[in-house]
Amino acid sequence: MSSYLVLALVAGLAGLERKGVLQAMLSRPIALGPIVGLALGDVSGGLVVAVPLELLWLGSVNLGAALPVHEALGAAAVAGGAVLTGQAMGTGVTLPIAALSVALCVPLAVLGRNAERSIERANERLVARAETLVLTDPAAAARANLRGLALPFFLPALLAPVGAAAAVAVIPAILRAAPSLGTPLAIAWVAFGLIAATAAAISLRAERARAVFLAAATAAAAGAAVVVGVIR
Amino acid sequence: MSAVRVGRVGEPERVVSAAVRRRVFLRSFLLQAAWNRRGMQNLGFEYAIAPALDALYPDPEQRRDAAARHLGFFNSHPYMAAAILGGAIHHEERVARGEEPPVAPQRYKQTLQGPLAAIGDGFFWTALRPFFGALAALGALLFGWPAVVLAITIYNAIHLALRIHMFRVGYRQGDAVIGAIAAMSLPSVAERLRLGTAVLCGVAAAALLLGGARDVGIVAGGVALATAIAGQVALRLGASVLTVAYGVLFVATGAGLLALRLPGGS
Repeated sequence: MSSYLVLALVAGLAGLERKGVLQAMLSRPIALGPIVGLALGDVSGGLVVAVPLELLWLGSVNLGAALPVHEALGAAAVAGGAVLTGQAMGTGVTLPIAALSVALCVPLAVLGRNAERSIERANERLVARAETLVLTDPAAAARANLRGLALPFFLPALLAPVGAAAAVAVIPAILRAAPSLGTPLAIAWVAFGLIAATAAAISLRAERARAVFLAAATAAAAGAAVVVGVIR
Repeated sequence: MSAVRVGRVGEPERVVSAAVRRRVFLRSFLLQAAWNRRGMQNLGFEYAIAPALDALYPDPEQRRDAAARHLGFFNSHPYMAAAILGGAIHHEERVARGEEPPVAPQRYKQTLQGPLAAIGDGFFWTALRPFFGALAALGALLFGWPAVVLAITIYNAIHLALRIHMFRVGYRQGDAVIGAIAAMSLPSVAERLRLGTAVLCGVAAAALLLGGARDVGIVAGGVALATAIAGQVALRLGASVLTVAYGVLFVATGAGLLALRLPGGS
């Protein structure tokens, strides 16, 4: 139980850091994954899921009034689900667990975007409050800004543990009922990482990005193969 | 543009001290705390500039008027807004000294918010942060979590240095901040960062593939690669990223099950 409270706290703080406070990349999946892992006692498990999620959502940025998916909520739920499932099964975060946690929890990132839109509507009430207060107490009107921090905290604080709990409830049952799924799910995890890296390159919206991406991938793979061959 | 101090006897000097400016800058970290559809970052701007207005307008009526004019619509890039906050203090000082009409700070904000939002979105959100995100992801694959800490530390050293610099230049130079920001030629740096990010993503893909082949075997790695290539084709045809991600997870699992049943499958 206390694990879920810790996850709620970390996810809530990430929800603040993501937009309302500071914005120092601490709520990006690549940071949040290992932070969730650290809080729950498995840094490397959190890092395993952080890498492809960062790449998948590299282009999830808040431009003007357009909202991206809630990548912090998604990352907290996936990392929390994977780490807690790994602990429940006593195996740590294996590739099949990572793949299933992604499949289960990623929709929360989309749900989070819709909820964020509602929060932005709800915040209009704070504007009305400030407009009234400014006539009598400008300092109190300014502080209306801080009331906006409540909802962005509670949104991921409530939903990330729900996603993680679903992962803990479902994933061990799947893997125990169908052990033969283990290797295919590990293959799926590798394929997911590759498509995430591709999506990252495409999201850059640069003319030559895709060609540069493919050239770099080919060169790096070939170079690594040669190096391995020489060592052997 | 040295400040002309019209300190009449018994009146406070109409300048905002360095300590108060520091408070405004720190409060700028909460610019988007109450982002809303109507005024967007208006509450955040009002909150951030409040200490400067307190210092400039001891008269309650003037203080109210100043607060009211900063409650209007405002939206820019949250980092670049530091320049506008600095410039707004610059103009409020002049208003307080009677050198400018009270509408000047609002006009300044309206002129700069759009252009600086475009520059900030194009540099920080779609170039610098993705670059360090991809760098951290690749670093994590090759060296583990310390690489993530390092990449994010460097990102924040750059981002905070620029935020502080732009706040200072905005305060000291007011309208000339546009020229100072243009001189940084952020768009061309951004273009190079994007290509650098594409390289990092490519190397990360290779690392994921080779690491995967080590974990699941060469044949299985080939199955994963083939599925991902099919996924890339789907992306090129316009399918959404999440649809393709689920498709890839599903198809690769199915293909893996099939491959295991074939003779010679491991």
